[in-house]
Amino acid sequence: MSNQSGNLKLTNITKIFGNGADKVTAVDNFNLTINPGEFVTLLGPSGCGKTTTLRMIAGFETPTEGDITLDGKDLKNLTPDKRPMGMVFQSYALFPHMSVFENVAYGLRVQHASKQEIETRVAEVLEKMSLSHLAQRAPNQLSGGQQQRVALARAMVVQPKVLLFDEPLSNLDAKLRAQMRVEIRKIQQSLGITSVFVTHDQDEAMSLSDRIVVMRNAVVEQSGTPDEIYRRPNSVFVADFIGRSNFFKVDKVESKSKGNAKVSVNGESMEVSAHPNAASSPNPVLLVRPESIAVKPAKSGKSHGTVTNIVFYGNHVEYSISTSHGEVTAIESDPIYDEIVQPGNGATFEFHPSRAWLLPNEGKIVHEE
Amino acid sequence: MIKKRTVAFGVIAALFVSLMTAIAPAQARDLKGTQCGREGLIRTIKGITYTCERVNGKLQYAEGRKLSGTLNVVCGATETWCAAMARKFKEITGVETKFVRLSAGLVPARLEAFKNNPEFDVWHGGPADGYVVGRNAGLTEAYLSPTRKMIPKKYLDADGYWSGVYLGALGFCSNTQALAKLGVRQPRSWADLLNPRLKGQVLTAHPSTSGTAFTTFWTQVARLGSEDKAMDYMKELHKNVLYYSRSGVAPVGAAGSGEVAVGLVFAHDCIAGIQNGLPLRNSFPSEGTGYEIGGVALVKGAKNPLAAKTFIDFALSADAQNLGVGAQAYQALTNPQAKYNRLIIPLSKVNLVEYDFEKAGNRKPDLTKRFDDEIINRSQVRG
Amino acid sequence: MAIRSQSAKLDVFTKIAIFVLVLILSVLILIPVGNVLYKSFQPGGIDVLRDVVENDYTRQIVLNTIWLGTSVGAVGTLVGFLLAYVQVRVSFRGKKLLHVLSLLPLVSPPFAFATAVIVLFGRSGIISNGVFNKEPMIYGYKGLVLVLATSYFPVAYMNLLGMLRSLDPAVDEAARSLGASKFKIFRTVTLPLLIPGLGASFLLLFVEAIADLANPLVIGGDYTVLASRAYVAISGEYNVPGGAAYSTILLVPALMVFIIQRYWSQRADVVTVTGKPSGQVDMIKTPLAKYSLLTLAWSIAAFVVLVYSMVILGAFFKVLKVDYSLTLDNFRYIFSGVGNDAVLMTTMLALIATPIAGFFGMMLAWVIVRKIKRGGQALDFFGMLGLALPGTVLGIGYAFTFNSPIQVFGITILPQLAGGGAILGGAVAIVMVYVIRSSPAGQRSGIANLQQIDPAIDEASASLGASGGRTFRKISLPLIRGAFLTGLMFAFARSMTTLSPIIFITTPDTPILTSLILAEADTVRYGYAFAFCTLLIGIVLITMGLINLIVRKTQGTGYRPITVSAG
Repeated sequence: MSNQSGNLKLTNITKIFGNGADKVTAVDNFNLTINPGEFVTLLGPSGCGKTTTLRMIAGFETPTEGDITLDGKDLKNLTPDKRPMGMVFQSYALFPHMSVFENVAYGLRVQHASKQEIETRVAEVLEKMSLSHLAQRAPNQLSGGQQQRVALARAMVVQPKVLLFDEPLSNLDAKLRAQMRVEIRKIQQSLGITSVFVTHDQDEAMSLSDRIVVMRNAVVEQSGTPDEIYRRPNSVFVADFIGRSNFFKVDKVESKSKGNAKVSVNGESMEVSAHPNAASSPNPVLLVRPESIAVKPAKSGKSHGTVTNIVFYGNHVEYSISTSHGEVTAIESDPIYDEIVQPGNGATFEFHPSRAWLLPNEGKIVHEE
Repeated sequence: MIKKRTVAFGVIAALFVSLMTAIAPAQARDLKGTQCGREGLIRTIKGITYTCERVNGKLQYAEGRKLSGTLNVVCGATETWCAAMARKFKEITGVETKFVRLSAGLVPARLEAFKNNPEFDVWHGGPADGYVVGRNAGLTEAYLSPTRKMIPKKYLDADGYWSGVYLGALGFCSNTQALAKLGVRQPRSWADLLNPRLKGQVLTAHPSTSGTAFTTFWTQVARLGSEDKAMDYMKELHKNVLYYSRSGVAPVGAAGSGEVAVGLVFAHDCIAGIQNGLPLRNSFPSEGTGYEIGGVALVKGAKNPLAAKTFIDFALSADAQNLGVGAQAYQALTNPQAKYNRLIIPLSKVNLVEYDFEKAGNRKPDLTKRFDDEIINRSQVRG
Repeated sequence: MAIRSQSAKLDVFTKIAIFVLVLILSVLILIPVGNVLYKSFQPGGIDVLRDVVENDYTRQIVLNTIWLGTSVGAVGTLVGFLLAYVQVRVSFRGKKLLHVLSLLPLVSPPFAFATAVIVLFGRSGIISNGVFNKEPMIYGYKGLVLVLATSYFPVAYMNLLGMLRSLDPAVDEAARSLGASKFKIFRTVTLPLLIPGLGASFLLLFVEAIADLANPLVIGGDYTVLASRAYVAISGEYNVPGGAAYSTILLVPALMVFIIQRYWSQRADVVTVTGKPSGQVDMIKTPLAKYSLLTLAWSIAAFVVLVYSMVILGAFFKVLKVDYSLTLDNFRYIFSGVGNDAVLMTTMLALIATPIAGFFGMMLAWVIVRKIKRGGQALDFFGMLGLALPGTVLGIGYAFTFNSPIQVFGITILPQLAGGGAILGGAVAIVMVYVIRSSPAGQRSGIANLQQIDPAIDEASASLGASGGRTFRKISLPLIRGAFLTGLMFAFARSMTTLSPIIFITTPDTPILTSLILAEADTVRYGYAFAFCTLLIGIVLITMGLINLIVRKTQGTGYRPITVSAG
C-alpha cells in the first residue's frame, strides 16, 4: 500500500524572528524536495533551525520568505488545521482529559466520520500499535512508551499526507528509543506516508531515514542518504556530527582525477577519495573513522603513538592513542581480550586508503577529545 | 308659517346653548385668581393643578398647570423622606413620581454627566453649596415659585435658582456613657472641645467633604474673625480628633457605638441617631455655631418642567416639610408654618454665627488645601 | 526544545474572536476610560496633575496608594497561598469546611467587613476593648490592610489552589532523589513553578486594593489614598475633572505592576501539564510543620467566621453594642418596600452578567496566551482596566459616555444605555459595569491556568484538523474548567456587591441592593444595613453553590483531568 501523494517541496524558505537589533535568522534559504513515501530527517544541534523548519511545514510558523507546496498546492495561506498533516510532538501532547480511545478518535471526529467508521479505524490502529488493551485508560496512567505510541496512532489514523515528528523519542530511555525507532520505521514504510523527522540524535537519523538533511546555524550543511553523509561528509562539522572521526593533517596534496587525490600523511603517501573542494582548500584534512583503524602493538621501534586509554565494551574495544598529531580514536570489533594493547604501551595503527576521505577545512582542526 | 317655527326653534336652541355653557364644567376655565384656603396648598381640580399663593395680601390660586407623564426626582435627602415626598406628590397631583436617592455630594456630578440629556426634572435635598455649584455649572434653572414667598429671604437664592427646604445647625453629638467613663462633662462650647481629656475622642468630617465639615471650619472663621485664627483653632482641635471621616454622618455612628465620645454633626443627624436607640445627646456651642440649608431646584432641560415646578411649590410648602419627621428626618424647616415637633430643634433657639454662604463657598478650595497641607500632611503617620 | 513562537496564521474563528473581544473592550472600558482621561485634562483636573509634582500632600497620597496596594497584594497572596498549600499538601479533617471559609470573603457587601472589624476591634471594640481592654487605632493603614487583605485573599486562594493541584509531583520526586530537603524543594522547585500564579494574584490584589473605595472611606482614617481622594474631589469639592485626574494617576501604578508581573511570568517556564504520568503528591507529614501550618490556616478561618458572624448578628440585634435584644424588625423593614424589588433586580442583572463575564474573561485569556504575540500585553492590560479604575470614576465615565445615543456620521449605533431615559431603564449599562468589573479575575486565572498547559496540546488539536473554535471548545475550555468556574463564581459575587460604579447609573427602574445598603449606612441605621448585607450574603452563597453544581454536572466527561483542576 503506498500513497501516490505526499510530494513536499520547500523553496528558498527563510525565517527571521524579531526585528532591528535583535533579529535572529532561524532558517536561511532552505530548499528541499521530498518525494512521496520518503522518510527525511532534519538533523542538527539545538538552535540549528530544524524544529522551526518543521513547524513551518506544519503551519505553526509562517515563513518570512519562500514557498512550501504539497503536491503542487501552495500551503502559504493554509492554517495548520487545514493542512493534511499529522504531527507527533516531543511531549506527546495527549489530551489529558480524554481516554486513549478518545485521543485517537479526535481527528476522525473532526472529520465527521461516522460512529461505525471511528470505532473500526481506531480499533485497527490501536491493534497495530499494541494498545488495544489500554483503550479506556487516561493518558497519565500510561508509560512513556505507551503515550508515544498513542501519539503516533492519533496522528496516523487520520491518514495524513505527511507525518511530522518533532523529536518524539527524546524523552524515552535508550532501549525504548531503539525499539520505537524500529516500530516507527516499519509502520511508515508499510503505510508509505511521507515523513519529516526532526532530531539531534544521529543514531536515529541514520537508522530511520531515506535521506538526512544536516543543519547548522539556520543553514543546510549537507543533504544526502545516510551512506553519503557518513562516508562522504561535506565538511568537518558534518563529519564530526555523525559518528566519530579522526582528522589527520595532510602534507602535500595533489589533485588527481575527479574525486581522487594523492596525499601524504605522516610521511606515507596514498591515494584517497576526495571532496571536490578539498584540494583547493587551505588546510584539507583526512577523515578516517575509528572503526577503520586497526591497532597493533608497537614493534621494533616503529610506534605511531602511546595508548592512553581503552574502554572495553564487550563486543568492541575503544582505543585512545596519543600521537604527535593529536589524539586518535580507534575501534576494534570482536577483540581478543589478551591481544588488546594496554594503556601506556606504544602502538601502531593503520588504515586502508579506501576508507579515508579528504575534506576541506574551515580553518580549524578539530581535535578529538 | 314655517318661518315662525324655525325662528322659535332657533331661539330655544340659543337659549339652550347659553344655559349649558353657563352650567357646563369649567374645563377650559382656569381657576387662576380664585380664592383658596391656605398659602402653599396644592390641589388638583378637574385635571389641573393649582398652587395657592399670596398676592397683595390675598390668597388666590396661581396659574393652573395640566400635569402629565412622569416626574423624576434626584433626591439627596434620606431614602425614606424621598419616598414619602414622592408618594404624597402623586397623591395630590396624580403624577407618577420616581426618584433616585444619591449621596448629596454626588448629585452635581451626575447632573453634569447627563447634562445633554437630563434624566431628572427636579433636585431635592442636599446642602446649598451643591446648589450654588449647580447654578454656576448651568445645571439648574431659575424658578420663582409662588410658595417661595413664605420662606425667609436668607434661605433662598436671590434669583430663584434654588430655594431652601430645611435647615440644620451644627452641634456636638456626645455619647453619654463614653463621657462618663472619661469623666468629662458634655461639651457646651468650642473651647470645651479642646479639653485634653478628649484626646482622640472627637470625630469630625474632613473639610473637603460636602456640607458638615466645612461648616465646622467656616464657623470658626465667622466667630473668630479671620482664616488664620480659624486654622489655629483647627490645629488645636486636631489634637483631640481621632481622624477626619469622609462622610458627614459618620461621626454619629462613631459616637453612637462608642468609638469616640463626641461627634461633630448637624443636630438632626444626632437626633436621628438617638431615635435609632444610640446613647447620644446633642448640645450646641455657646460661642455660636454654623448651619446648612437644604435646597430644591429645577433641573435645566427637565423633560417635565411643569410637574417639576409644581413639585418645587410643594417642597416649599408646610405640607411637604411636615413629612420630614414621619420619615425620620429631623431637620429644622424653612417654612415658618411648618408644624412644631418636639424632636426638631428650631434654629431660633440656637446661637448661630453670621454665615456667609457665598464667601464660604468661594474660600473652600483654598482653605481645604491649607488644611491638608498644614494639618493632615504634617501629622501623617507614614505607612 | 526550540523556542516556541506563535507566528502561525490565525484561523477565522480566532480572527472573529479577537475582533469581537476588542469591540467589547472598547465599548465596555476603553471609551469610558478615554472619557475619564479626557476629563482629567480639563481645568480642575490639570491642577491635580500638577499637584502630583508640586504638592507634598498629593505626592504622599500617591505613595500611600502604592504602599497600600503592595501590602495588600503581599499579605493577601501570602494568606491565599498558605490556605491553598494546606488544602493540597496537608491531610486533615475538615478540608471542605476550610475550603468554604477560604472562599467566604468573596462575598463582602460594601462597608460590611470594615464596619464589623471596627465593631470587633475598634477603640470600643467588643474584643479589643471588651476582652483585652485596649483601644487600638484601627483607623488607617493597619485597619485597611487587614480588611482589604481579608476581603480579597480568596482570589489568590482560588488561583493558587488550581496551580498547586496541577503541579507535577514527579518534579518534586526528582528533587527528592537528588537529596534536596523538603524545604529546599519547596523553595527551589515548588515556588518557582507557582510564579505565574503568585504574580497573577499579587497583581489582582494590588489593583483591587488601590481601586477600592468603600473601605478607605470607612476604616481608612487619615490614610488618604487616590481612590478616596478622588471621591472627595467629586462629592465634596464638586471637582469632577479632579476626581478623573486622581483616577488617571491611579492607572500608573496599576500599569507598572502589570508590566512587572508579566515580565516575571514570562521568564518562568512553567509548563507542567503535558499529560505525562504523575506520581503521588508529597504530603507534609512532620508534626511541627503540619501543625503550625494548620494552626495558622484555622486562625485565619476563625477570623473570617468572626467577622461574618458580626455582620449577620448585627442584623438580628436591635442596636449593636447598645441594645443586644434580638429582633426581626430589621428584616421586616427591608422586606417591606423597595427591598424586594432591589433583591430581584440586582440578582437578575448579576445573573445576566455572570456568564458573559465568565466567557469574556476566558476568551481573553485564551487569545492572549495562545493566539497572539503582539498586542497580547495591551489586550491583557485593557481587560484589567475594569478593575483598575476606582468605582466612582468608572461610574462617571459610563454616565458621560452612555448618557445619550452614540452616533457616528448621523447614524445611531448605540442607543442611550445609561441613566433615566435609557433603554431597559438603564439596566444595560449596569450589566456592562458588572461584566467589566468581574471579568478580570477570570482573565487572570485563565491566563495562569493556560500557561501551565503545554501549548503543544492546542497545536496537536490543530494538526488533527480542528479549527480554532473547536480547539477552544473541546480542548482548552475543559482543561481550564477550574479557572472558568472560578471566573463565574467571582463574577456573580462581585456583581452583587458592586456599589461605587453604579451609584451614577441606577434609576428608579433599576433599584440596586448595594445602593440601599449605602442609603441605610448614610443615615446611621446600621441594623437595616446589616440586614441587607445578610440577605446579600445569603443570596450570593446559595447562587455560588448552584453555579458550582451546574458547571460540574455539565462538564462531566468521565475523565477528570487529574493534572489540571481547581476546586
